[in-house]
Amino acid sequence: MADLALEGLTKTYGANRAVDDVSLRVDHGLLASLLGPSGCGKTTTLRLIAGFIEPSAGKIRVGDNVVSAPGRVLAPERRNMSMIFQSYALWPHMTVAENVAYGLTLRKLGRVETAKKVADILTTTRLSPLADRYPAELSGGQQQRVALARALVVEPETLLLDEPLSNLDANLREEMRFEVRRLHDAYRYTTVYVTHDQSEAMTTSDLVAVMNGGRVEQLGNPREVYDRPVSEFVARFLGGSNILKGTARDAAHVEIAGTVVKGDGAPLTTGTPAAISIRQHEIALDPAGAAPKAGVNNLPGKVVRNVFLGPQRDYVIALPDATQLRVTAAPDIDLAPGFDVTLRLPEARCRLLSR
Amino acid sequence: MATLDSTQALAGATVPTARTRLDLSTPVMVLFTAALCVLIVLPLGWLLVFAFRDQAGRATLANFQRLLTDPTFVEPLLTTFTIAGSVSLACGAIAAPMAWLVARSDMPARNAVRIIVTASFVTPPFLGAIAWELLAAPNSGLLNQAWRAVTGAPSEEALFDIYTLTGLIFVVCCYTFPYVFVLVANALERVPGDLEDAAAMLGSSRWRTARRITIPLALPALLAGLLVAFLQAMTLFGSPAILALPAGFHTITTKIWSLFQYPPKPELAAAASLPLLVLTVVLLRAQSAILGRRSFAVVGGKGAAPRLVGLGALRWPALALCLALLCLPVFLPYGALVNAAFSKVPSQLLTLDRFTLRNFVFVFSEVSATKLAMKNTFLLGAMAATAGALMALVIAYLTSRAAGRGHRVLGFLAMAPIAVPGIVLGVGLFLAYTRPPFVLYGTLWILLLAYITIELPAAYQQMQSAFHSVHHELEEAGRIFGATRLRVLKDVTGPLLRSSLVATWCFVFVAVVRELSAAVILFTSQTKVLSVLIFDLKESGDLAAIAVLGLSMLVLTALVIVAANSLLGGGSAARLRNN
Repeated sequence: MADLALEGLTKTYGANRAVDDVSLRVDHGLLASLLGPSGCGKTTTLRLIAGFIEPSAGKIRVGDNVVSAPGRVLAPERRNMSMIFQSYALWPHMTVAENVAYGLTLRKLGRVETAKKVADILTTTRLSPLADRYPAELSGGQQQRVALARALVVEPETLLLDEPLSNLDANLREEMRFEVRRLHDAYRYTTVYVTHDQSEAMTTSDLVAVMNGGRVEQLGNPREVYDRPVSEFVARFLGGSNILKGTARDAAHVEIAGTVVKGDGAPLTTGTPAAISIRQHEIALDPAGAAPKAGVNNLPGKVVRNVFLGPQRDYVIALPDATQLRVTAAPDIDLAPGFDVTLRLPEARCRLLSR
Repeated sequence: MATLDSTQALAGATVPTARTRLDLSTPVMVLFTAALCVLIVLPLGWLLVFAFRDQAGRATLANFQRLLTDPTFVEPLLTTFTIAGSVSLACGAIAAPMAWLVARSDMPARNAVRIIVTASFVTPPFLGAIAWELLAAPNSGLLNQAWRAVTGAPSEEALFDIYTLTGLIFVVCCYTFPYVFVLVANALERVPGDLEDAAAMLGSSRWRTARRITIPLALPALLAGLLVAFLQAMTLFGSPAILALPAGFHTITTKIWSLFQYPPKPELAAAASLPLLVLTVVLLRAQSAILGRRSFAVVGGKGAAPRLVGLGALRWPALALCLALLCLPVFLPYGALVNAAFSKVPSQLLTLDRFTLRNFVFVFSEVSATKLAMKNTFLLGAMAATAGALMALVIAYLTSRAAGRGHRVLGFLAMAPIAVPGIVLGVGLFLAYTRPPFVLYGTLWILLLAYITIELPAAYQQMQSAFHSVHHELEEAGRIFGATRLRVLKDVTGPLLRSSLVATWCFVFVAVVRELSAAVILFTSQTKVLSVLIFDLKESGDLAAIAVLGLSMLVLTALVIVAANSLLGGGSAARLRNN
């Protein structure tokens, strides 16, 4: 079983810690994604796993074997891994069939078996009619499928994907997203998927590691990461969240713009700066007169902007300290700018953030 | 410490191929750095030492004092600057409009014009100078004869005299303007069409757009071209040696050469070489500063294709003008050489009853040095091209695939000879290899060293840009699918670089065959090469033999290149686009 484990993995370039003490375990057959903005260290982490670069500290295990440690790096070609590169890296001097067959040739499979496996994978990826084309003669989506076929045909223990969909247009990207997951389920290798697109990570992964500044900021299944962001960075990166900053009154209460808000999450330290995150559609919006008085979890505010989007309205509301937040409301709640409102923040939806 | 238990784990697990990267590339890098140091630092070091000592070996500044006060040194220096300055300006005035016509106008046969200009690069400047002697020597020159025949002028009058400063400037221009042309034409082609479209949308006329947008964007390239032209003219040896010496004046390069004639004065030669070296370094720095800022013209080059300016009725006159100009470096000289090679009297126009092959028979069976020079030239050409291309390949691999501080030093060393004019390197090599530990003077090895050193920068640049065009992920893909480093080199990198490698080989080969300025310092009777033989024959005045040798040299070079390309060059070059 090829469980993949990163233990305290670190890569420094001079003073720059590109990957900083990353620990992560992916059980065999799971798909884990490394999610983060560009420069967060996710691609470096992937290249460390592939063995292209040597770690400065920490190690990488596959099953019981340490494959990477400082000064001890198993060569990429001996890891039984496979990779899809951001540029696809199709060899321009080989046809589609030759590209796909290359890994099998290196594994010294017989000609008959090689031909059969190549034919099978080309059928699976709907590339059979293009077998004799050169990469330069293919469209972006076709090139992407060749890269996929080439990576899968060698039946790797571990599959690495480096932003494989980022060069495709939106429709194709959505289609290929499900294709990646379908093939993963069909073959059940361990997959590490690098992306900066949160919906790509959400739809494909069993496990999401949100990375920032070389560190894993949060690790969990997609639902956990989305519902319970542990930090302001994660909450913002996953989108649709309002971040309200204030001071911790006690372990579960934050004072925001003069109002106390009770939230859910890891206990805070009294008196320290803290914040809560809450998504736009989780806030209830009432005209000031009709609502409960301002009190715990009920914040007074004023309408700044009201945009009708069809199925809903998008409001921008200003709090007394001029913080602006966005609220999604039902289309029939139509309040003009300047109107006083009360925002109700359900306690269970307010994620406490200590950082 | 984490390393400890990882070591244990490794011992029990698969055998690691640890540290392959370091084990291979570090020693190779150190080896190459050391080799380049010997190639470059040794000759230049001796050059410096000699410049500051007298014939008895004592330290002195007298060499420089003499250089700056003795009129026989000051005049060649001034002449050199006059030539270089005039050539630079004249080349700009001719090449820039021509480049614009070829790159941005709808002139007919634009590509043919471009190919002819590029082809004129192939002409060795010394051969061009000899061809112009055949055309415009005051008495025997074909053009002067034609002029006298047409106007009936008396036989002592001449329309042109190539043995003058003006004549020399003209000939140097003929073989320097392609540098400016290529730089400017490429820059003009890179000006993105949408910048011009933007100007057109704002109501600017086509001519006004050309004047206000296109030309300013290409200006840095023109400036850089002018500097290159200045540099070429300043360090050229062949043309001045052939035209200035009969005319009774020296340039700094011919002066340095004359210091090696009996009795040799290497100290003065070394001192006279230093200003050339320093100026070259300064000019190259200026050029890279100018071109470094040019990037603004390239940004967004992905945009629309360049828009061509319609010349209207001027299209054909423009082509006629270009072809008329190309008569000077290409059609007329080659006509004169062919004429001289097949004619009984080189200075008379070829007719059926003057046709002869005697010149060929003479050159190949009676001139004793021909066979040796041919053998030496092609042997050295092949060896230098092979060694140079392979060195460039390894150095480019190290500098582009394994970035690090040591690799930057290596890249710098590989580029350093670009700042050393051929004749200066010749002097340096002479000084370095006539003494222990390496006594190479009088062998082919010293010429080989000179050729490799001179051509390394261009070869390295070509291989480096070839490596840049091969995305590193293409090699990494090979590794991750199970290929070792060597296997990837064989299956992926090698095939992708093959056409570049062949091109680099050919480039070095051509450059070696036509090289004169270093060879003329370093040759001995047993190590004569074709260019030196031609130069020697010139002194004995045998123009027909020179024409035969020059043309044979070009034809044989072309054959070697065709052979190299068909043997090694991939036929699938068109497929090698890496998108």
